[in-house]
Amino acid sequence: MSDLDKSIAQLRACRPIPETQVRELCYKARELLIEEGNVVCVDAPVTICGDIHGQFHDLMELFRVGGDVPETCYLFMGDFVDRGFYSLESFLLLLCLKVRYPDRITLIRGNHESRQITTVYGFYDECLRKYGSANVWRYCCEVFDYLALGALIIGATTELTPTDAPIIDTNTQAPNPVDHSDLEIEILNSSGHIINRFARPPESSSNSQDLSQLSNAPSSPSQGQTPTRNGNPGTGATSSSGGSSGNSTGAVLCVHGGLSPLVDSIDKIRLLDRKQEVPHEGAMCDLLWSDPDEIEGWGLSPRGAGFLFGADIVKCFNQKNDLSLICRAHQLVMEGFKEMFDNTIVTVWSAPNYCYRCGNVAAILELGEDGSNAGYAPRTNGDVGRVAAMAGGGPLAEQRQEQRMGPGRRYRVFEAAPQDSRGMPAKKPVADYFL
Amino acid sequence: MATIPNLNTLRSGRGGPRRRGGGRGGLSSDGELDERESEAARDRVVQQTDNDASSSRLSAIELGYLDDEFSQQLWPQGQNVPKRYPIINRGTYVRTKAVDKLVALFLESEPQQRKQIVSLGAGSDTRFFRFWKQGLLHSSGVNYHELDFEANVNQKRHMTRTSPGLSDHVKQAEKAGSLYSLHAIDLRDLTKKSPPPVPGLDPELPTLILSECCLCYLPPDLASSVLQYFTMNIKSSLAMIVYEPIRPFDAFGKTMVSNLASRGIHLQTLKRYSSLEAQRQRMRLAGLKGGQGARDVYDLWESDVWVPGDERRRVEGLEWLDEVEEWQLLASHYCVAWGWTGEIFEKAWGMLEGGQTAAETKHDDMGP
Repeated sequence: MSDLDKSIAQLRACRPIPETQVRELCYKARELLIEEGNVVCVDAPVTICGDIHGQFHDLMELFRVGGDVPETCYLFMGDFVDRGFYSLESFLLLLCLKVRYPDRITLIRGNHESRQITTVYGFYDECLRKYGSANVWRYCCEVFDYLALGALIIGATTELTPTDAPIIDTNTQAPNPVDHSDLEIEILNSSGHIINRFARPPESSSNSQDLSQLSNAPSSPSQGQTPTRNGNPGTGATSSSGGSSGNSTGAVLCVHGGLSPLVDSIDKIRLLDRKQEVPHEGAMCDLLWSDPDEIEGWGLSPRGAGFLFGADIVKCFNQKNDLSLICRAHQLVMEGFKEMFDNTIVTVWSAPNYCYRCGNVAAILELGEDGSNAGYAPRTNGDVGRVAAMAGGGPLAEQRQEQRMGPGRRYRVFEAAPQDSRGMPAKKPVADYFL
Repeated sequence: MATIPNLNTLRSGRGGPRRRGGGRGGLSSDGELDERESEAARDRVVQQTDNDASSSRLSAIELGYLDDEFSQQLWPQGQNVPKRYPIINRGTYVRTKAVDKLVALFLESEPQQRKQIVSLGAGSDTRFFRFWKQGLLHSSGVNYHELDFEANVNQKRHMTRTSPGLSDHVKQAEKAGSLYSLHAIDLRDLTKKSPPPVPGLDPELPTLILSECCLCYLPPDLASSVLQYFTMNIKSSLAMIVYEPIRPFDAFGKTMVSNLASRGIHLQTLKRYSSLEAQRQRMRLAGLKGGQGARDVYDLWESDVWVPGDERRRVEGLEWLDEVEEWQLLASHYCVAWGWTGEIFEKAWGMLEGGQTAAETKHDDMGP
């Protein structure tokens, strides 16, 4: 067993590793991360996760529900630390996995991966408490500076192979009957049972789909009639897009917060100098702090950093950058995930019962692989100019005036891990209230 | 306060002090406590909620949310003040300011009229000192009563006597005709057939009853009876301000109830007064028929009437608050409710908007 594997085993048991090992781990991680571009390219299939916030036992639950590394390929959209009691163990475990299986796990930066925020929200105090000095906090912060700002998922399929699992019976309201070849969204619980399913809308304009605020809330809008398309997968006959691009979808951009008024193309993100503390303003700050909102254009954020952005901003950005979807985290959503703006952006939240207080469920998002691999060649990190080649004029661009068909999306929803799960002692955390 | 557990004490097999948390209320592990002892243990848990409240207040004061030189003097010397998260600080701020505003409007109404304030479960509250310093008690004189468990009162009495910063104010106020009285009274005794007198309680004065997270710990019927004690005894105008949790039925509310229960804290009236409208109705039923209002803490924070715009911007600038969604959740689960009867309160509070709103009905649709 290598030292790294030993560290992984120790951290999986929620036990911190010695300071010297942390230093070495952080050094290796930095060497690895420095090679990554600001926007990492990730091939589907991949499982996308939102905020973790030091809820170690819930991270273990996430791996139980989503599959372990390296069997499942993961993308974590930041906010590994702060708020929960085990930021240290959670972040170091993810970092160990990154160093051990660099191609199977991608970590991007959240707004809490910052010196300033971690001193307010707990990670600094936790390191001090567990090691007696701030050294480990310092090593971790140096790693934070090297984390990528975003990821681009390519080769995701529009198709979703239906899960062969029982449908849970919630209040006799059966999930929408869906023709399997037209499945777009599937929502599963932590046992893998189907909570709900949604088909693609009948017409090619996915704009008409009434899923503008989709989440797994019981009030989720239901789908109407579903068409019958029985073509063989991969032949294009199952696709409701132009039919020329196989069943591959546009790329999916993953970023912790959202968009920035200073960034109208992914190339502009690639050109940022990211190796620094998260600034209080500017493009890098916005990517980590902004939120989508029901407004037009841009608005001021109540967080004091980043901006609010409306549907028009997202649709325009997605079209210009040949994206079918933006995945982001950053905002607590009680149902674990929330799709907005005609399914052009989704919030994924992976910290159940956030802060041991909020009573929310968590979710992860699985995107499948496009078997035909048509239309998209893998790109290397930091590859500037991709969009210009894809959409910068030419007949192709005109055909793409409408929204790209979104990838097939499987959400797995899960609840907080029970106390004392896995035989690991977990002190019942005390949440703050007004008394 | 949320503290990070020291992992070393939690490792299995080492016989670390694993049950430290349980020892607080004096519970022994053999579980053979008679009813009286366990009741005393439950009471101690409630008494200790004041420690939570005052440390939250100190955290907010330290960071500039509140201006209060007195809380520090009531805090046991040598004890560290824990730092609270920004949303807790903001909530402490809103709660304090909202209740302050209602109390100040009462004191400013009919300035020549002598008045009376009764603060239930006052604990280490500093409103008397702060208001004296601001001159709000000067004009007509106020009988200011604080009622609490004997343990809490003894501690406060000791502090107010020994700390010059506090005792001077009490003396000055008394010279100017105001009366500051601490009463060691178990509120449940007020509901007995022959309740003990509250010394100095003047039935002829317009009286304001305050309950900031106090009556909610009593069984609902006892909480109503405590109010009844005052409605029966006070012959003049009467009003009440309540600050309490609400909305126990949604996911956040359920988690709150179970988290607090695991600390031995039972919010016994929460289900009965689960919504803003239930709080208004409670005031009505208590005989405070002049008017009733209720707002949740999130509404109070967002309203220019309660937190003026420039003040809100000042507070927003104190700390970087990243927990926007959590703030909304937390703040919508606490409310300030008020009700009154009598002209002096009508003049003070009649203009305030506290009625039912469309947003509120949507929020409170969720039943048990």
